[in-house]
Amino acid sequence: MNTLLRFSILIIPIVGILFFYNLLTEDKFYPGANFKNFNVPNFKLQSLDSASSFKKEDLQNELLLNVWASWCITCRIEHDFLMKLNSEGVRVTGLNYKDESIDAINWLNSYGNPYNFNLHDLKGSLALDMGVTGAPETFLIKDGVVLVHYSGEVNQAIWDSVFIPIIQENKMFK
Amino acid sequence: MIVEISHFFSILSAGLFFLAFIFSTRTYQGNHNLELLVNRIFSYGFYFIFISFLLYVWLAIQSDFSIRYIAEHSNKDLPTFYKISSIWSAHEGSMFLWILFLAGWSQLFNYLLSKNDLLKAPAIGVLAFIIFGFLIFLLFTSNPFETILPIAPINGADINPVLQDPALVIHPPFLYLGYVGFVIAFAYNTAFLIKGDMQINWEDVIRPWSLAAWILLTIGISLGSWWAYYELGWGGYWFWDPVENVALMPWLAGTALIHSLYVSSKSKVLRGWTILLSISVFSLSLFGAFIVRSGIIDSVHAFANDPQRGLYLLAFSAVLITTSLIFYVYRLPQLISKNLVVAKSKESFLSINNILFAAAIFAVMLGVMYPLIFDYLYDKRISVGPPYYNTIFAPLTFLAAIFLVFSVGSLWQRTSKLLNFKSFLSMSILFAAAASICISYIYQDFQWWFVGALFSGLLILIRYFLLIVDSMIKKSYFNKPSAIAHIGFGVLILATALNASLSYEKIINIKPGEIYKDSDYEFYLIDFDLINEPNYDSVRAKFSVKNIYTPNKTFFMFPEKRKYFIRGQITSESAIKITPYKDIYMTLGDQLDNGYWVVNIQYNYLIRWIWIAAAIMGIGGFAALMERLKRK
Repeated sequence: MNTLLRFSILIIPIVGILFFYNLLTEDKFYPGANFKNFNVPNFKLQSLDSASSFKKEDLQNELLLNVWASWCITCRIEHDFLMKLNSEGVRVTGLNYKDESIDAINWLNSYGNPYNFNLHDLKGSLALDMGVTGAPETFLIKDGVVLVHYSGEVNQAIWDSVFIPIIQENKMFK
Repeated sequence: MIVEISHFFSILSAGLFFLAFIFSTRTYQGNHNLELLVNRIFSYGFYFIFISFLLYVWLAIQSDFSIRYIAEHSNKDLPTFYKISSIWSAHEGSMFLWILFLAGWSQLFNYLLSKNDLLKAPAIGVLAFIIFGFLIFLLFTSNPFETILPIAPINGADINPVLQDPALVIHPPFLYLGYVGFVIAFAYNTAFLIKGDMQINWEDVIRPWSLAAWILLTIGISLGSWWAYYELGWGGYWFWDPVENVALMPWLAGTALIHSLYVSSKSKVLRGWTILLSISVFSLSLFGAFIVRSGIIDSVHAFANDPQRGLYLLAFSAVLITTSLIFYVYRLPQLISKNLVVAKSKESFLSINNILFAAAIFAVMLGVMYPLIFDYLYDKRISVGPPYYNTIFAPLTFLAAIFLVFSVGSLWQRTSKLLNFKSFLSMSILFAAAASICISYIYQDFQWWFVGALFSGLLILIRYFLLIVDSMIKKSYFNKPSAIAHIGFGVLILATALNASLSYEKIINIKPGEIYKDSDYEFYLIDFDLINEPNYDSVRAKFSVKNIYTPNKTFFMFPEKRKYFIRGQITSESAIKITPYKDIYMTLGDQLDNGYWVVNIQYNYLIRWIWIAAAIMGIGGFAALMERLKRK
């Protein structure tokens, strides 16, 4: 059999491998990251301590909205990184999701509070409107528009590769 | 402390497998002591990974939530059973189990294979390399031993409720055992290709291993299908989900392999093709692992993950697959037999079926890849669904069934006279054709796939029936395991077709105190119960159902909706009434504003027979394995 013809069988795996390599290293291939922009829906929610209520207009111009709950173990792991972000001057607002307020407040007291304030979404209604499927999830929001929706734990690696490019592009958190 | 020991043993094991690999590359001179050393080191590698896993199981039972993985996937209120199975409910732990099985199969092979086998050392070397590669993957990208310090959470996040199910406890282990079992064929044949000694009878060595892996994979896939049927609440048994497809491909290739091995060992033809299949089966298993664990596909089964994992798996699979293929291509001219396949001989029909299986694998592969390619090129999401697969699979299955029947009475290396009028084959064809026309007429269904499936399924059953009767009268030999497995295949075709043709569903609105009358059954909704369980709340409907023709026999059905506290997930627990001929499958939908509830009632005909058929196929495989082991 012709040698060249024989070796041509190798084309199949090589093309497959190159294709997948391309797919995986594509700039925006991060499972969990969604870069589709959409407006923050209107809402009216109490704060976690029920002292005040918030509407869409009360959100700052530039913020990170973090969906969390005291029952969520991954949130506990993500927590350290959020503390770090907070200390670096990134504004993090909490969306406490399907959680008892007393549990949530205890949680913040024992581990530390990285949030400037917390919305209490007991029924998960705002979360539903924003396409949240679980906790933790994180939204990067500028002027009421969601730029990034990330499902899963945000850590340094994800922050650098998913959030930083968008933040720099939009000149946020200066 | 225990977690550190467990972690350390895994690292140690990786080191030992690496050593075994390095030493095995030095055994080409036939240095017997070195070979012995390789086997010894390999065994220790296995023992350490085994102890490491046992310790990990212990930690899971103890609910040690200082370990991140256990904290994220288990919960202290779970029964011990589920605490253990939570280990394989997500990526890291299931990878750990995967590797344990990989090492387990390899160690069994190392233990059972005669030390005089010329290919033992290189085959063990290949296995050691594969295990080492996966252990590195586990330790560096998917470490299940990572801890949350200094403060461990008080309770864990709970296992996903749809996974809290007995079938799901055993489905992944069987599936993994099947997937990785084919590694033996891969490693041994790669060793054969590297050595290049064409006198070696690799067929006989790898046949029982491939058969065992095939049986386990068959069981694993059927368990998954059975679980999906009663747990997911959709009432189907196969969804052509990408992850089901990547399990189906190794199964198809494995089925082709065990048949092709049979041909190669009998008549030394198709050797090149058989080796290619043995490489493909494990490559397809690797492809499956890659697809599921790289995050490329969204699916019920896919694990959430980061791109690093995908890249590592891609690179490692690429090394394994291309290396073995390069050796394959290099040795191919020596592998090709001088003897040609005789037309209308047994091996000719098996060759045709090999081609049909290759076509089926290609079709599934295309279905899996097409959305990815489309998304990549045009940035649009499309999905390839059941219509595509059904259209392609139906004719391929019918053809395969027909050639299978042709092969039954045919002879090795000789042309068989098949179609003379009095032969069993002609009789089977006549009977099957007549019977399928009658049945289509009874059910008034003349769609091509229905008639085709009836014909091909019945053809298999009738042909084997005649074979068995004939052998009993003449007291002659027939291949019993093959007969069992193929009868299972015939039943599978019939059950699938009848299920597709006869099943139907009704969606009704009903409130307590009302009766819904269907053509055969009356459903009386008595009331709803609210149930508080430790880990979920549920609403349970109580239906009293009676068959109109036998009104004395009423039975109850309790479709249920659960809300799990910890993850806030809502699941639907269907109520299933099983009869030999059909299942009544009831799921509770949403409550409407006016007090009515939406209830979905499905009549699934012969669905049990699909799994029974799979079990029969598995039993056939098992019988074949036993027969082989006895002969040794």
